Amino acid sequence: MIPPVFLFVLDTVAIISIYLIATLSLNIQYGYTGIADFGKSAGVAVGAYVVGAIPGRLLAALLAVEGDYIWDNTPVVSAINGVLSSDVALSLGTLALALLLAASFGAALGFLASYPVARLKGEYLAIFMLAVSEAMRYVFHCYTPAIGGPYGVLTPDPFGFLGAYRIAGAAIIITGISLALFYYSERLARSPLGRTLRAIRDCDIAAEVLGKDVAGYRTKIMVLSSAMAAIAGALYAFYITYVSAIAYDRVTWTFWPWTILIIGGMANNVGVMVGTIAFIVLKRLIIIFKRPLEPFLPFDVVWLEYILLGLMLILMLMFKPEGLLPEKPTRTIDLSRYEDRLKRRQG
Amino acid sequence: MWILIRDAITYACMLILMSIGLTLTYITTKVPNFAHGEIAIIGLYTAFSVLHLLHLTPYAAIPIAFVLGAGAALALYKLVLKPLSARGATIDHLMIATLGYDMIIFAILNVYAETLRELYPRFTGKPLKTRGFMPFKAHDFTLAGQPGVFFTSLATVLICTLALHLLLTKTRFGIAMRATIENPDLASVFGVNTELVYTVSWILAGGLAGLAGVFLSFYFRGDTCLGFVLIVPVFTASIVGGFYSIYGAILGGAIAGLSEYLITYAISLAVGPWFLGYRITIPLIMLAITLLLAPEGLTGIEWSKVLRQLRAKLAGLSSRAVARLTGVVGR
Repeated sequence: MIPPVFLFVLDTVAIISIYLIATLSLNIQYGYTGIADFGKSAGVAVGAYVVGAIPGRLLAALLAVEGDYIWDNTPVVSAINGVLSSDVALSLGTLALALLLAASFGAALGFLASYPVARLKGEYLAIFMLAVSEAMRYVFHCYTPAIGGPYGVLTPDPFGFLGAYRIAGAAIIITGISLALFYYSERLARSPLGRTLRAIRDCDIAAEVLGKDVAGYRTKIMVLSSAMAAIAGALYAFYITYVSAIAYDRVTWTFWPWTILIIGGMANNVGVMVGTIAFIVLKRLIIIFKRPLEPFLPFDVVWLEYILLGLMLILMLMFKPEGLLPEKPTRTIDLSRYEDRLKRRQG
Repeated sequence: MWILIRDAITYACMLILMSIGLTLTYITTKVPNFAHGEIAIIGLYTAFSVLHLLHLTPYAAIPIAFVLGAGAALALYKLVLKPLSARGATIDHLMIATLGYDMIIFAILNVYAETLRELYPRFTGKPLKTRGFMPFKAHDFTLAGQPGVFFTSLATVLICTLALHLLLTKTRFGIAMRATIENPDLASVFGVNTELVYTVSWILAGGLAGLAGVFLSFYFRGDTCLGFVLIVPVFTASIVGGFYSIYGAILGGAIAGLSEYLITYAISLAVGPWFLGYRITIPLIMLAITLLLAPEGLTGIEWSKVLRQLRAKLAGLSSRAVARLTGVVGR
């Protein structure tokens, strides 16, 4: 058995990894390209909703489990989990397929959203994206057939085969995926595409004059970052094995990634990682230290956490708006190697 | 049918009260205030407290709600937005700061609601539902068989519209305000105290939102997270009307409120009552159409130009038709 302290640490690592993916996607979008997406929760929610709606139904059909997926959700999912817990290949296959589906649905949402992104600027875009994310949440809250509406659905557990080591295994898998996406973001930032994106962010007219297809790049980035956000949502849903439409609100999945991005540093992937770790660890410490406070307060301590984090964001914006690790000029090719090559050519 | 129209008008009036404030702060300080919905909820909880703690009619909360709403909005401007823009924050940073402020108000309201729920039974021996409570329809007066909130909200909107119109056109301060909206630098060169203009507009905006909150308590299920939902129709109202005009906010509030209510009902009659839950999609669609087709809103469109183009097009069509006809006859 794993001692509870380790479980707590592993759980923290898993949550850090999930938020890292969501914030990296926001960093590509806002930090590098300058698209202020105030509807980030919509992208994350799509991933989670896909996980709630599709893999369970597919598995129920595949394994011929009787019962309605929404109304008999608990028995159907526990029957599926019974099979999954002994079938490693099927579990990992489910995970891979669901992530793929979530990413493609996220990409589709990003493609749709790129239409307003190409046409609206600044505050208008922010208002529109915020409204879309709020409305989507309420629509799925009302619409029972997809993911159970107000009741939510349990998702099949692709980490169930790990038994007692479920949290440890899940944390390792999720961290692996998030590190891969981190590596990808870092490569993207250093590539010619990354340079183009920064040019678009700093002056889109200049980029356009230099022959860059600004609208095309913005579309690409919307598709890419929504797909990434959807992967974060899908992993989160699988990790907690439950999806409820209303939970993907603008505090948890729009505001917190933004806070992390601002704490960590815009257009700096390492900063995003540092910011995510700092933010989640801080939240976890609040959870630990709120226990002794609880008997004395007539309200839930989570609200103090909200106030504290809100104040922290505002103070950060005032005194250190560039974040803990500010944007650095990215080295695209090793300078010494370049100089060597230059010398050889001259000499 | 009358009940439907009456409720639609009541709802539209609440939206107007909120969208006026949203537009006012946007045209003066150029920041869309995402905390505006939650500021209205402060008014709602003021009405709740006045009803349950002071045992007065919720209408008695109007002055307190105005002051509290105005205070919350002023604090947002003076303590958050002004220092931020003085340090050269971008519009994105200002917007995220208003989102943060929204979260802080939401948390404070929750602290208040939960504390009240804990402490109220200790003093009175009765439990009190402080979140998700029913609208105060039973505590409203009736006039000619209609609920009082219909008259009070309509009267408030009419008075506010008239007062704002008089303020903006007839007083020195109103003209200074318009000058500041038009060009703040030039206005301050001419001796206008632009800071005072900003302060007054934030006070008015917050106060009107607080006022709207009192009316909301007669109409909506009271909850701390109501502001999250309201933000969609309120922004729709401001943008449909035209985000650069206070009259646009009034027009937009009327259109958005009435159509959200009536269209939702009409569709639910056609497809079934299940549609009532999807009410929020109507303002969203209106917002999307406005932003993508005419982001300047109804008052921003140059109607004379549109009419001229339309007329020219029609004239072109008819002359072509005449030409074709004469061509046919000539042959």
